[in-house]
Amino acid sequence: MSANYTAILWNQQKKLYDRYMWLGIGLFMLVYAVFQLWLQPSITFETLIIRATALAAFVLLHLILAIGPLSRINPAFLPLLYNRRHAGVSMFILALIHGAFCIIQFHALSDTNPLISVFISNPKYLETSQFPFQTLGFLALMILFLMAATSHDFWLSNLSPAIWKVLHMGVYVAYALIVLHVATGAFQYENHPFNWILLFIGFWGISGLHVYAGFSERYKLNTHKNILAENGFYQVCRVNEIENTCAKTAFINGENIAIFKYDGKISAIHNVCKHQMGPLGEGRIVDGCITCPWHGYQYLPHNGQSPPPFTEKVKTYDVKILEGYVWVNPVPKEEGTFVEPVIIEKA
Amino acid sequence: MENLIEITFLIIGIYLFLGVLFTIILMWNGLEKLDPQTKGAGWFFKLLIFPGMTAFWVVFLRKWLKQKP
Ligand code: FES
Repeated sequence: MSANYTAILWNQQKKLYDRYMWLGIGLFMLVYAVFQLWLQPSITFETLIIRATALAAFVLLHLILAIGPLSRINPAFLPLLYNRRHAGVSMFILALIHGAFCIIQFHALSDTNPLISVFISNPKYLETSQFPFQTLGFLALMILFLMAATSHDFWLSNLSPAIWKVLHMGVYVAYALIVLHVATGAFQYENHPFNWILLFIGFWGISGLHVYAGFSERYKLNTHKNILAENGFYQVCRVNEIENTCAKTAFINGENIAIFKYDGKISAIHNVCKHQMGPLGEGRIVDGCITCPWHGYQYLPHNGQSPPPFTEKVKTYDVKILEGYVWVNPVPKEEGTFVEPVIIEKA
Repeated sequence: MENLIEITFLIIGIYLFLGVLFTIILMWNGLEKLDPQTKGAGWFFKLLIFPGMTAFWVVFLRKWLKQKP
């Protein structure tokens, strides 16, 4: 949040996350290396590194892309989303090692600048079977670099959240480039059908998950289309349908609203976190503050303001309780506006 | 084709070189004014944002120029 920056915000949970992730990456590469050595004992160390890092990075990229839609479909996956940025940077490091070894192995010996050589050593840009696939990998690596280099919160505020988000959507472009890089490169030599099947499963799996998550979200949001309305207020749910310290979300007249229940009261704020648009309604109230489930930004439920010294603010909404039902007025108040919480009367 | 690629790399190279110079100057002096939240940030933080700054230095240059009266 907007107090001073730390280099890397490592809390206990993130440390565990990173430890398990790198343990997984290490084990994966070790098992792969043992297999390769067994199948091809004459393989050189450089080739082994090139292949192991490529495969590990590609698998990790699939996992990273799957985490988003999976946690939209089922909140049980949210803990994985919590530290996805570290997974992204780790993936970039693997891809960088892969790229660096490739450039040294295949381009360092000629007189041309090795980076330029990536683009000109094979000029068959119009052929599919001998396409200069390394160029695709290089471009993907550049996108991944820009993303990894700007993953700190410093960039979020200095590039503005909108530009940052667009930049980081570049992961899908990078993914497409990498799929093509694999299909026109390694798979031209190792073209066992099994490899192609895996590539297709990965691609369609990721695409399918995104489409499914989109539809299921749309379905959830649409459930509030035909609700009762009165004097600008819309009926959302029964008071006892909201668990204590949790929220119910409603999408009314284009407003994405999270209605929280806490300390015998009800308050409503905008459901979108100021940090990276995380779903506040999926968070909980911790120490009196609504806590974003993604990276822990906090907001006070009665005014949508982050507690000092932080300065983020979100919109707030009027709520009321009528005969055991929660009603909300979807006309937003200015960000950070105090709205008197509604006391829940005991029946 | 070859020329085009060489020129592209040359332009990118010059851009990044200027980026490195600008970043060093900004980190030396002025970063705290541009973003007060960097106050007291250690060398590791600066190292982390260094590569990105060499790529996006023009954004900071614009901010810097705007800030100066
Ligand atoms: S999206 Fe990062 S804390 Fe909310």
